Amino acid sequence: MTAIVEVNGLNKYFDSLHVLKDISFEVAPAEVICVIGPSGSGKSTLLRCINFLEQPDFGSIAVNGVKVEAGGSGREYKQKIHDLRLQTGMVFQSFNLFPHMTALGNVIEGPVTVKGMPIQEATEIGAHFLEKVGLGHKQDSYPSRLSGGQQQRVAIARALAMQPKVMLFDEPTSALDPELIGEVLGVMQQLVEEGMTMLTVTHEMGFTRRFAHRILFMNEGRIIENGPPDQLFDNPEDERTKIFLGAISRLGE
Amino acid sequence: MTQTTTELQSQADQIQSLKRRKQQRFRLGVNLSYAVLFLLLIYAFSGIKFNLFGLQFSTISLDTAFIAENWYFIFNGVWLTILLSVLSIALATVLSLLGGLGRLSKYPPAYALATFYISLIRGTPLLLQIIFFFLALPQLGIRLTGLWAGVLALGLNYGAYMTEIMRAGIQAVDIGQREAALAIGMNQGQIMRRVVLPQALRLVIPPIGNQFIAMLKDTSLISVTGFVWELLWRSQKVGRANFRSLEALLIAAVFYWIITILFSIVQANIEERLARGVRTT
Ligand SMILES: Nc1ncnc2c1ncn2[C@@H]1O[C@H](COP(=O)(O)OP(=O)(O)OP(=O)(O)O)[C@@H](O)[C@H]1O
Ligand SMILES: [Mg+2]
Repeated sequence: MTAIVEVNGLNKYFDSLHVLKDISFEVAPAEVICVIGPSGSGKSTLLRCINFLEQPDFGSIAVNGVKVEAGGSGREYKQKIHDLRLQTGMVFQSFNLFPHMTALGNVIEGPVTVKGMPIQEATEIGAHFLEKVGLGHKQDSYPSRLSGGQQQRVAIARALAMQPKVMLFDEPTSALDPELIGEVLGVMQQLVEEGMTMLTVTHEMGFTRRFAHRILFMNEGRIIENGPPDQLFDNPEDERTKIFLGAISRLGE
Repeated sequence: MTQTTTELQSQADQIQSLKRRKQQRFRLGVNLSYAVLFLLLIYAFSGIKFNLFGLQFSTISLDTAFIAENWYFIFNGVWLTILLSVLSIALATVLSLLGGLGRLSKYPPAYALATFYISLIRGTPLLLQIIFFFLALPQLGIRLTGLWAGVLALGLNYGAYMTEIMRAGIQAVDIGQREAALAIGMNQGQIMRRVVLPQALRLVIPPIGNQFIAMLKDTSLISVTGFVWELLWRSQKVGRANFRSLEALLIAAVFYWIITILFSIVQANIEERLARGVRTT
């Protein structure tokens, strides 16, 4: 198997705080990875380093053959980071839709502004992706007129419209009311079934158990478990994993 | 059980209506006071004579014939005053946007230039700046009409003060907006133009409205050039010519006051509309 994502020797500091410690792992095409772990363990930072929203201090990231080493500078380096970002789509906990643009405007912003696609063509693509997340009828709505679940689905469509090779989700359902979580997970399930490569930080253990091919369990900036869900849920290697999973499942009750 | 709930409900209603009545009484009191103040003001300028403890007093007496004859001439300065304000605020908005971007820039010359501009303008009097553009520049071969000297000076001056507004507006746009834009591959220029500025400009409309209202009054400083027929210049001209400066200046003051109140109402409306349209995320 050739990996589509390769993270190698990744280290990240916030001032003196060592947030990611020697992280290395690979993701195969169409693989679904769920990243779990206690708050502050570095899950978001890991995801954000993969598309360089955070600059890692050491190590390298490669996505779909675009490899970027930590700590470069200059025009060429920026171009490389840009190329890397085009390989990835990201979905945020707080949606971060552009409030001054309609749903369709949000989705075509990338294709038009970044790729220079003609509006007409972008609109077709945009409509297609909004349809896909079940919001074809909301094209002209502004984000403020949409529910949280609808906003997050538009955000997913916005990421997909750039036709990335890998999707990064950072707690996509954490800001949602319980009754809206299902619609977002539904869209994510659809992506899994279509063979999208996905890295998801989530506390949705139902989704994780059902769809994750592999789970990364993080603690204090390290990956301390890396295996299929059955193995992790049924006999975790590390004591801390047990405690964490215990706490999570009690929360779920 | 239901009894207590309804009782509680009616208690809450009572407190609510008590509060409302209190508010209404306050509003009524304020409006009555306005009316009294207004009548007093009219009385003070009515020229009525009265006797107090055997002494003869008179309120201020105005030359009504002069007022009737000249108010329209002065009133015609309103349009120029508004025009000067509009031109100056437009220039100030552009400059403050550049200044605000400069203050946020990581490019040293841009930051330095913006800081230098703000310091220089804030460190010198506005009146001096206006006179400078009108009187000093011709010595360098740059001849500006009173109007353009005034607009340039006011625009530069307000621009410097408004950089802080712009900087704050740009910074107030949620960081998540930039991150989402970066994630779809936008570069810094695209993010500014397409994502941050449209949102920042919405945020700064109310404070810019306030600056505009302040500007309406500061345009009067341009009268010192002697060539711009705005409100104050016109009132000084007819006032001096007829030895009726009291009346002439009062007329100008009333017009400034009225246009300030009118624009404040417009401003409040815009603010309210923007507030209603506020979008979360
Ligand atoms: N921009 C930042 N500046 C300084 N410290 C930061 C910054 N972002 C995160 N941190 C710190 O880095 C550590 C890891 O944060 P991160 O957000 O990656 O954790 P997380 O696993 O995603 O947690 P959560 O489950 O709460 O989202 C935390 O201690 C956090 O306080
Ligand atoms: Mg996080």
